[in-house]
Amino acid sequence: MEIIIKMGIKKFNIWYISSFLISLVVAIPIITVFSSFFETTSNYTSILKDTFLYDYIFNSIYLLVGVLFLTFTIGVGCAYIVSFYSFTGVNFFKWALILSFAVPAYIYAYSLTAFFENYGTAFSILKNIFGQNNYNNSIPKFDGMLGAIISISFSLFGYVYVLTRSSFHYQSQNLIELGKNLGFSKKKSFFKIILPSARPAIVAGLSLVAMETLSDFGAVSFFGLSTLTTGIYNAWISFDDLALANRLSFYLLIFIFGLFILENFSRKKAQYHSLSKGGFKSKKIIYLKGYKSFLAFSFCFAVFFLSFLFPVLQMLYWTIIFPKHFIDLNSLQLFINTILLVSFSSIVLIFFAFISNYGNRLSRSKVLEALTTFSISGYAIPGIILAVAFITFISWFDNNVIKLLGTETIKPIFIGSILGLVLVYFVRFYSLACNGIKSGYLKINYSIDESSYLHGFSKFKTFTNIHIPYLKNSIFLIGVLISIEIIKELPITLIMRPFNFETFATTAYIFASQDLLEAAAAPSLFLIFTASIFILITSRYIVRD
Amino acid sequence: MEKNFLEIENVTFAVSNKSKVNNVSLNIENEGDIVCLLGPSGIGKTTILRTIAGLEKIHSGKITLKNKILSSNEIHIDPENRNISLSFQDNCLFPHYNVLQNIQFGAARNKEKKINLEIKEVIKFLNLEHIIDKFPHQISAGEAQRASLARSLLSKPDLLLLDEPLSNVDQSFKEEIQVKLKKILSELKITTIIVTHDSYEAFYLGSKCGIILDNQLKQFDDPYNVYHFPNSVEVVKFLNRGILIPAKVTGENSLENKDLGTIKGNFIKHYPKGSDVQLLLQPEDLEHDDKSNLKLEVVDRKFRGTNFIYTLKTLNNLLIPVFVHSHHIHQHEVDEKFGIKRPINIDHIVCF
Repeated sequence: MEIIIKMGIKKFNIWYISSFLISLVVAIPIITVFSSFFETTSNYTSILKDTFLYDYIFNSIYLLVGVLFLTFTIGVGCAYIVSFYSFTGVNFFKWALILSFAVPAYIYAYSLTAFFENYGTAFSILKNIFGQNNYNNSIPKFDGMLGAIISISFSLFGYVYVLTRSSFHYQSQNLIELGKNLGFSKKKSFFKIILPSARPAIVAGLSLVAMETLSDFGAVSFFGLSTLTTGIYNAWISFDDLALANRLSFYLLIFIFGLFILENFSRKKAQYHSLSKGGFKSKKIIYLKGYKSFLAFSFCFAVFFLSFLFPVLQMLYWTIIFPKHFIDLNSLQLFINTILLVSFSSIVLIFFAFISNYGNRLSRSKVLEALTTFSISGYAIPGIILAVAFITFISWFDNNVIKLLGTETIKPIFIGSILGLVLVYFVRFYSLACNGIKSGYLKINYSIDESSYLHGFSKFKTFTNIHIPYLKNSIFLIGVLISIEIIKELPITLIMRPFNFETFATTAYIFASQDLLEAAAAPSLFLIFTASIFILITSRYIVRD
Repeated sequence: MEKNFLEIENVTFAVSNKSKVNNVSLNIENEGDIVCLLGPSGIGKTTILRTIAGLEKIHSGKITLKNKILSSNEIHIDPENRNISLSFQDNCLFPHYNVLQNIQFGAARNKEKKINLEIKEVIKFLNLEHIIDKFPHQISAGEAQRASLARSLLSKPDLLLLDEPLSNVDQSFKEEIQVKLKKILSELKITTIIVTHDSYEAFYLGSKCGIILDNQLKQFDDPYNVYHFPNSVEVVKFLNRGILIPAKVTGENSLENKDLGTIKGNFIKHYPKGSDVQLLLQPEDLEHDDKSNLKLEVVDRKFRGTNFIYTLKTLNNLLIPVFVHSHHIHQHEVDEKFGIKRPINIDHIVCF
């Protein structure tokens, strides 16, 4: 049937409405956090203002700047080397560098401390090689701010690496040749052409890193660092002041919004998808020989070793030394629980993030775009706050709406259930799915959609027959990234999980919180192992680009 | 009363309320007619095609195809429901499908229509055999443009819109494709609107040509009339196929220029005796004659294969183009004198 649509109504089509609703649902816990700004807080607020508040803010800023600098350097550096050069082991490093995703920052922090602490692993190694001596003064200590920056950076640089490498892969040789033609040196080409072209990908990666860093709890609390996140946790747990906890989260959100606005403002009207007019030309890979090949190999190996091998070996060492903990672990059940959560959540996240992105693309509405930007800031809110905000909202809804309708309470459906857990994951990781798909969409010129319509494809068919096949690799990659995040996720799982439902992360945490770090080693190792499997599944795709 | 195949009535073509081409009215009378739109870059030619295809909306006027309203102030049929194919200037092949799969998209849309056009035939005619397995990023811009054209042709649309379809195609191959394209469009009776910069391409392919200048459709006529009877100074300047020189009307069939003397011919439009006019002088209006006493100085000579275009300077510093066949034995160098046959006779006199 021919569709004749009255002008004006068309903008609000099913895609627009779906996209709007998805963003709204994701935004609810964030709105809850914002609304708390007007609630009264306890006396702790004035105490905090006079004491730790500036510490929280400045420590968060120092941590953020340190982590962003290190992840940018390592992530972009590795992405550039493996994308533009060929050397011994390059295909291995292409995917092996992503294995760092499998190591959560808090497990990295345990390993870093265990290795360098007095009478730690480094001490034992030196003693076994050189004999008994007091090596403690010679062994550097990575704790406090430095330890947190290193732990978080090595755990998170993968975001910048993966997204930047993908962007480098799609860069046309024409751009590089254009630089040569203009007389640019390699260095100038890198800073003036290669790097700016990959800007959306780098920014997307750094945004994820920034949000993860600001919401990190495990590593910073382990190093005893006072940041906004630990402040939020203290306000809620120690002083039972949820309003203050939410208010601190609000400051965190403002910080994140500031970064978003700054980036959008500086980007102005620049577009980064290549116009197909001049045609795409595959990159010419430069084959490195001699010391240059050795340097490239050494850099990549050092990053691989420090980010993955080092924590794995440390955990393995503990597991071997204390085998009883390993034998007692119900690893199969933990594995099934983890996989169940991962599969369900990834599918839901990708499905809705796709619809939301397509709705945005079709409508090109500024209101919708603003709402989406607002909703993805959920990533910056610490998992604890999201879980509490969700429980608060469900309780309010149950008391004020469900009760009035006279139906049964909905609390058991959403609180302490898999569904509730997945919903909070949804809010938490929506940014990851949404930004990932958005980044893929930036590569599809709008005229591709128009071309599809002109060949008789409806909006839905364009979505299923053009966009999904084109973005299938991106979808797969995003699915893996989400899965790895969920495997590692701790606070939301702890609060929202059904009774007696454990994952590797919660088991490791429970042992660690009881000061049984050696017992936490086995579930940590399993966690790393499971996450690594997900990465290995994608290795062929990653090597093949 | 029988209606036109395509009717555009008082439509203002615009993107985001930014006016591009105002108040356009044009008709394509019969199915299978080819219309070409000419105009400088950025004037809004592509916007016209996009609007007809349904990718942009209109806020005034009406577009009707086969007696069905496609766009008006109140109605907007979505592009996928118009059966109009637009071949973009920058080709827009689907990047994740190879050339053959891309072309098959056009054929797939058309499988229910009975048309006498095989994929193989189109591939051969557009010389795409060697690239059918390649992906868009592996082919040249010209090849991509031909593949895009093949895809559009195979969809056998009610209306085919081609945006600079051969702008990236090699010159050596261009004329061959133009001939084949005209033949295939005519055989399949595909009504087509072609946007181009190339006036020769427009004059060859189009049964009618539209000249878009200064946010308006300045002239819409058959190619011969557009060239020989331009309706405004702007069209003359845009086509750049002649110059305007000052002259005074001296009689029913004559006028006088200070440098060239008496010029005779038939006026297209009546001007009273003694009127000061601007006469359109085209390169083929003057003839070479070494014996003539009217000598002008050669300031430039362009070799165009079959002909030379001389640029001659008059005593009053007018620069006049003159067409001479290239096998003509009397070649003149720059700064030499060039004789013009007198009296000057022009078949039709166009003045402004």
